[in-house]
Amino acid sequence: MIEHFDPSQQAQEHIQTYAKDLGTPPPAAGAAMVRLEIDGVAIRVPEGTSVLRAAALADINIPKLCATDSLEAFGSCRLCAVQVEGRRGTPAACTTPVTEGMRVTTQNERLARLRRNVMELYISDHPLDCLTCPANGDCELQDMAGAVGLRQVRYGFEGENHLQATKDESNPYFTFDPSKCIVCSRCVRACEEVQGTFALTIDGRGFDSKVTAGQGEAFMDSDCVSCGACVQACPTATLMEKSVIDAGQPEHSVITTCAYCGVGCTFEAQMKGDQLVRMVPYKGGDANHGHSCVKGRFAFGYASHPDRLTTPMIRESIDQPWREVGWEEAIAFAAARLRAIQAEHGRESIGGITSSRCTNEETYLVQKLIRAAFGNNNTDTCARVCHSPTGYGLKTTLGESAGTQTFDSVMQADAIIVIGANPTDAHPVFGSLMRKRLRQGAKLIVTDPRRIDLLKTPHLGEAQHLPLRPGTNVALINALGHVVVTEGLEDHDFIAKRCDSEAYRAWRDFIREPHHSPEASEAITGVPAEAVRQAARTYATAGNGAIYYGLGVTEHSQGSTMVMGIANLAMATGNLGREGVGVNPLRGQNNVQGSCDMGSFPHELPGYQHVADPVARGRFEAAWGVTLDHEPGLRIPNMFDAAIEGSFKALYVQGEDIAQSDPNTQHVEAALSSLECLIVQDIFLNETAKYAHVLLPGSSFLEKDGTFTNAERRINRVRRVMPPLAGKADWEITVDLARALGYPMDYAHPSEIMDEIARLTPSFAGVSYAKLDERGSLQWPCNAEHPLGMPTLHELDFPIGRGRFAITEYVATEERASRRFPLLLTTGRILSQYNVGAQTRRTDNQAWHDEDVLELHPADAELRGIQDGDWLGITSRAGQTVLRARLSERMQPGVVYTTFHHPGSGANVITTDNSDWATNCPEYKVTAVQVEKVSRPSAWQQRFDAFDRAQRGYLAKAQQEATP
Amino acid sequence: MSLHNDAQLIRMANQIAANLGGGRDEESAVAAIRRHLETFWARPMKQRLIAGLEREDSELVPLARQATQQLAERLSEPASVTGPGA
Ligand code: SF4
Ligand code: SF4
Ligand code: SF4
Ligand code: FES
Repeated sequence: MIEHFDPSQQAQEHIQTYAKDLGTPPPAAGAAMVRLEIDGVAIRVPEGTSVLRAAALADINIPKLCATDSLEAFGSCRLCAVQVEGRRGTPAACTTPVTEGMRVTTQNERLARLRRNVMELYISDHPLDCLTCPANGDCELQDMAGAVGLRQVRYGFEGENHLQATKDESNPYFTFDPSKCIVCSRCVRACEEVQGTFALTIDGRGFDSKVTAGQGEAFMDSDCVSCGACVQACPTATLMEKSVIDAGQPEHSVITTCAYCGVGCTFEAQMKGDQLVRMVPYKGGDANHGHSCVKGRFAFGYASHPDRLTTPMIRESIDQPWREVGWEEAIAFAAARLRAIQAEHGRESIGGITSSRCTNEETYLVQKLIRAAFGNNNTDTCARVCHSPTGYGLKTTLGESAGTQTFDSVMQADAIIVIGANPTDAHPVFGSLMRKRLRQGAKLIVTDPRRIDLLKTPHLGEAQHLPLRPGTNVALINALGHVVVTEGLEDHDFIAKRCDSEAYRAWRDFIREPHHSPEASEAITGVPAEAVRQAARTYATAGNGAIYYGLGVTEHSQGSTMVMGIANLAMATGNLGREGVGVNPLRGQNNVQGSCDMGSFPHELPGYQHVADPVARGRFEAAWGVTLDHEPGLRIPNMFDAAIEGSFKALYVQGEDIAQSDPNTQHVEAALSSLECLIVQDIFLNETAKYAHVLLPGSSFLEKDGTFTNAERRINRVRRVMPPLAGKADWEITVDLARALGYPMDYAHPSEIMDEIARLTPSFAGVSYAKLDERGSLQWPCNAEHPLGMPTLHELDFPIGRGRFAITEYVATEERASRRFPLLLTTGRILSQYNVGAQTRRTDNQAWHDEDVLELHPADAELRGIQDGDWLGITSRAGQTVLRARLSERMQPGVVYTTFHHPGSGANVITTDNSDWATNCPEYKVTAVQVEKVSRPSAWQQRFDAFDRAQRGYLAKAQQEATP
Repeated sequence: MSLHNDAQLIRMANQIAANLGGGRDEESAVAAIRRHLETFWARPMKQRLIAGLEREDSELVPLARQATQQLAERLSEPASVTGPGA
């Protein structure tokens, strides 16, 4: 045997697989090994591998054009023709699977001639402007022409060709130049197989065949969601990033993690010097396997937007212009104020908020600053307003505040319940994976007031929609539990082995009560009883049942109860502790999981260790050299109440925009205005910063090192690709502030912060930057028992021993439709914009969504004489705002919907201060409102505009004065 | 001003009672509510809620009231944990 390649040697596979395109995807894991010989080289590969891939693994590179290892082989270009001993003809290597004892020849005169002929045909219909082509240096057609030794094109360019075809430049991020298309259909297959949108087709046959978006529309007018998978798959310059057309080919790259949603996609940031040219999703990324959405791939321009803050600023009061100062002066000013306020109003009069957009290391430092240097536990994170009920509910029932699965687990699921989540918009890459599984035949059950796009998945099999009324989740989950118990669908074995028997008996007695039956709860939820029974049966009997949920579960007055209800259902049916099942919160922002893990909640130290636990607290006290408060501190809404009352005076906010994202804006504004010192650390003058006294310019994810933890507990590295615009990474600012407060922290690099986290947090004990660099990513818990992390939780037992069923009584929200407010408003997000939009609004993603609108059902519109595009006043008991109307059949009558991506829309002026009973997570998803036609902006919007203008003026003035 | 805050705390406590009160006997319901307040509420919030017990017009529901009383008793016991430093 001359050479021997064994992909079971993990490390080798890792390097080999991602460094180059192997032509076809790997076969399913666990296949038997097959021996063959290619060009005399003996090779051993798993069964199901193509000859093309087997050769590539042994570094025998067969020319190819239509094949790429992210897509199933298609066999259309014929460039990869080979000869196989004992077989006639020249089969395509990409569509020929290896067989035992096979002998393959990839190079000889006959094959060379054949390949040259193929290339000649391609090139005869291809413009020869290679030197000035944007793909120059990254074009597979060029490479293949070189590889096959094409030296002449006999056909000439006078014949019929496509060279004059017009470009489609409608998409803001990429162009489509059909004159360069070789009709390899990689783009079409990427859109189908990887993205699942089916926006592209090959129209016509033979010479006339061409790639078309939608029904022959421009890309922007088609179903295309601009994920970029087709651009990445295209071997030529036909589909091309505009950023590459502008800047030319990148020259080096760095692996890092997307800073948008909770999927946490891994990217290769391709650079030219310190300029980011393009983001390419990394095939080796364990969360995304080389796919991404429009935000992560394209919407990075905000990092170099002129609005970026670059100089620290201070002012005495918020009706004064800003003054640009040096870092030292700004930090000293902030520290002096904090200490003066504590001297006058007490130790508990100040606090801080961190954000799910910050890295783990940053969040850890902020809570350390607050607990150790402020001397209180008034620390919170924006996870308060999204997934705090997940923490509470899952910890109570399953013993761990986290989702139980990897994303890939969905590929083993047979029935998938999606509750209050919209993965195709909010978690797009996971949405694509789920769609792939649905196309393979998994059954789908959607529980949502709206008809979400997942229900429109092309080639979807069995799907059920339970369109419940907003605010009735718990009644519905109880009805599902009732059916499971009364129809004998429980997994008794699992319950007996894994669950606390007393808690189970209590729950069983509770859930059997007739008022939980689907028939009884139909009046509450509006979902037909038979549909509920059907859904329960599907979930309980399909095999592997998996539940995915989002903010439509948590952001309710009974958010925590609902999370427990979901856990009950999973336990009762034994759908926990293996691949394909589980309870999976889909986290909104990139680091929601991490910000919770890192101890930013006021009652928990890092790793969910309660502040009252003397042992855990003792360890932190010893490490930090201070005495820590054993009582929980204030949560964000409590801080607001206390600020208005006058007992809470100063706040340090890192990377969060509470003035826009938190409910009941006018209440938040009142709270912020009553602070004596507001310190905001952010990359832009966000809405909160307009109420600040100290502005500390932060750094974008491209400018610092750190880690994010995604929704599957996966810790991913964020790597610095360019220096911080304002000179400091965020963690350095926190360290400076701590020092000025007389509490020096001593770190030379974020890796040292992670080392401290590992020392103090049992579930992170085995995490280090060195190990992350080596493994790519780690799913916590990662410690002595699980040195490489733990993809699936609760396989053998629960952290609390046995699973605990919880009593989940349905308690109707106080927020009810009434005569005055007859409609229910629910809020959400869309694909192209991200949260408060501070980043995405500063990119071309604006092309998809440049204003928030109010979606309502045509019947509700007709009743009020409303037409599409009318200005609507939306009033709740909290306030009023004005938005444009969009009529939509996706809504049920009686329910209206909007997004909160634009500050001036004031979606949160209407949301109320109702909140989850256990965690105070705001009830964004239910607000009783009335809508009517109006002709001008609301009083709040007029005030907002005036304030906004004044504050921008203060900023501009400071910047003018600074530039003489 | 502070009236608003008091009312808010009472509303929260009642909401907790409504959610933890169902499906349990009174004793364990009261204990569950008290434990919740103990675990999640900040010191000033607990104190305010307890101070409000005296008020005639307090709108605390019976379960929440009992839980608050229990909380008050436990807090007045000599602290078993060391208090916070400066
Ligand atoms: S960008 Fe994505 S959605 Fe649009 S055509 Fe390409 S693959 Fe399809
Ligand atoms: S656009 Fe690109 S990927 Fe699509 S068929 Fe043409 S060359 Fe192939
Ligand atoms: S926004 Fe989410 S899905 Fe899109 S690229 Fe970033 S992490 Fe991936
Ligand atoms: S690469 Fe095999 S036929 Fe195109």
